[in-house]
Amino acid sequence: MMRRRTLFAAGAGLLAAPSLVRAQGAALPVAGVYSLSGTFANVGDLLNKGTQWAFEHYGSAAGQRINYTLLDDQGDPGRAVRRVQEAMGQGVKHIVGCTLSSIALPVAKEVHARGGVYIHMAGADEATGSECNRSSFRWPGASYTAINATARPFIQRNPNAKRWYTITGQYVFGDSLLTNLKAVLQEAGQQHLGNSYHSLSEREYSGYITAAIAAQPDVLAICNFGNQTLDVLRQAVSFGMKRNVKIVVPWSTGLDQFQAWGPDICEGVYFGVNYWHGVEAPGNSVLQQVVRAKTNAPTNYLQACGWAVAQMLVEGVNKAGNSEVPAVIRGLEGLAYEGPTGTETIRAADHQVLKDYYLMLGKARSAMRDPADFAEVVAATKAFQPPEQTGCRMS
Amino acid sequence: MSGQLLVFQVLNGIGIGMIYFLLSVGLTMIFGLMRFVNFAHGALYLVAAYAAYVVSQLTGTMLWALIAGPLVAAALAVVAERLLLRHTYAMPHEAQILITFAVALIVQESVILIFDPLAKNVPVPAFLSGIVFIGPFVYPAYRLAVVAVAAAVALLLWLVLERTRFGAILRAGSESSEMVSLLGIDVHRVFLAAFALGGALAGLAGALAAPLRGVEPFMGLEALGIAFVVVVVGGIGSFSGALLGGLLIGVVQSVMSSLWPEGARLMIYGAMALVLLTRPAGLMGRA
Repeated sequence: MMRRRTLFAAGAGLLAAPSLVRAQGAALPVAGVYSLSGTFANVGDLLNKGTQWAFEHYGSAAGQRINYTLLDDQGDPGRAVRRVQEAMGQGVKHIVGCTLSSIALPVAKEVHARGGVYIHMAGADEATGSECNRSSFRWPGASYTAINATARPFIQRNPNAKRWYTITGQYVFGDSLLTNLKAVLQEAGQQHLGNSYHSLSEREYSGYITAAIAAQPDVLAICNFGNQTLDVLRQAVSFGMKRNVKIVVPWSTGLDQFQAWGPDICEGVYFGVNYWHGVEAPGNSVLQQVVRAKTNAPTNYLQACGWAVAQMLVEGVNKAGNSEVPAVIRGLEGLAYEGPTGTETIRAADHQVLKDYYLMLGKARSAMRDPADFAEVVAATKAFQPPEQTGCRMS
Repeated sequence: MSGQLLVFQVLNGIGIGMIYFLLSVGLTMIFGLMRFVNFAHGALYLVAAYAAYVVSQLTGTMLWALIAGPLVAAALAVVAERLLLRHTYAMPHEAQILITFAVALIVQESVILIFDPLAKNVPVPAFLSGIVFIGPFVYPAYRLAVVAVAAAVALLLWLVLERTRFGAILRAGSESSEMVSLLGIDVHRVFLAAFALGGALAGLAGALAAPLRGVEPFMGLEALGIAFVVVVVGGIGSFSGALLGGLLIGVVQSVMSSLWPEGARLMIYGAMALVLLTRPAGLMGRA
């Protein structure tokens, strides 16, 4: 019921947006693009809550009251672009949200073409590479970061594990993880024994895991995201792979996935995460307080991600001193602020936020200090492609 | 692919196939007996998986969950049949599909409201958490137990349908419900019992699947997809067809995971297309 009510409220908010823009000259209308229905609804709700809580917390930016509206893209790029067109047609110039590259990339183009500013959390390298533009900014580290901040410290910690096998989702993001991983393995003198691709709709992985076991690797890397990562790791562990193979999950959403696996599966597995609630940082303390007051639970990645893009917008508008788009973009470029992972900096060259990406190692159940203490941070790395190598030609 | 790996992939495929059989047998049974297209079958699987999750959280063991899952799913099937679905038996299949699909979506959204959209873990029972060695390969003990349960269910169902008075009434009801009615048997109660049995089978599949893949709100619709493939391949309404279809699909998927990994999922549908081209009524279906 709450979800439906949220949708109705969001719809009503959007319909009311033009009149609000006219009636309250000081209000700053902001739209969030999230999937609250469709295939990816399981993440959209939590992302949206993070954004909503951040705007509630900050209340205003540069003296303008923030008026937040949700746009449900239903996991459909075409629908997302249409909803953004409608919102921008009604005066909204500041857009946040979206984890899916297939949606974020066309939305980024649309917002840029219509003279807005867009802050998202998509994973494809292209978002701050070949598809970058002046209007778009990204908070999380992408696939290059995920691989370089996990595989390199993993190799240093495990010098005897040299033979790698990969199981990869056959779509843009999975392929991007695999390409980056192959490059790191080659550079580090590691052997890539083979890869099993699987489709986006796959849910049964025992055949791929059997193929991986037959290759007798030292390391299994799971290049994937979301529920497929959950299933591949769960099934790999059930087939006893932890006995003699180290498992690396370069891209995990952290706490929510750890809870879905439970400590018996997480123990001894290496994870790459963009955010961890246990990191001590002033920005993270604020976020933890707000989320704990709302949920009585620690913050997960999805909530943090939703929060982070909203915080960036507020920080950019505050720096600019007004909400005019060119001023906000200038305000964001090069901005350093206390974010959820510590001091974060927005690189002007490609609009990528430079922040820590964590390599974590799953703990044994007996070593957990509290029910959310699933893993320890074993490395925190700012691993980003140099701007001249990203392919970003800022337009 | 080495011969040893091929043999193991076939064995693994048989294991997958038995799980698929369990998933689809309730669906094919309800269609076979009642000519009713039940798109809410996945929702029963989903509800049972969540019931297993709740019970395992409360009791700390999966064993009670294996009883609770089928019971909850059967109860939901009975409620849905009494309140809504019995009024749709005379409707065309298109209407049944729309109505049962709506039921599935309502159940899915209710699960999100009651829990949340994130996946949950259901631990494997401690005594089945190990692995079994088969030559150089390993197989999870829990999967082996699921395969054994599926085989036992197949045998039990066959006995019930073929060797009991209840089974005879069910079969007669599917051939001519009017004739069964004239013999003084309450056909509506028979159909209700069939629906409850179908729900319990979907529930058993959901409860057994929970430790294999966790629980999350969208698992019902995914399960429905594979269940329909198995039913179509095996022949709609055929009990033995569900077994044969499940095994065929499982083996194809497992073997293709080594031969052509990126096409393994696609080949499930390839196998279905091939069967439909050569035997339009399915492997064991009656034209």
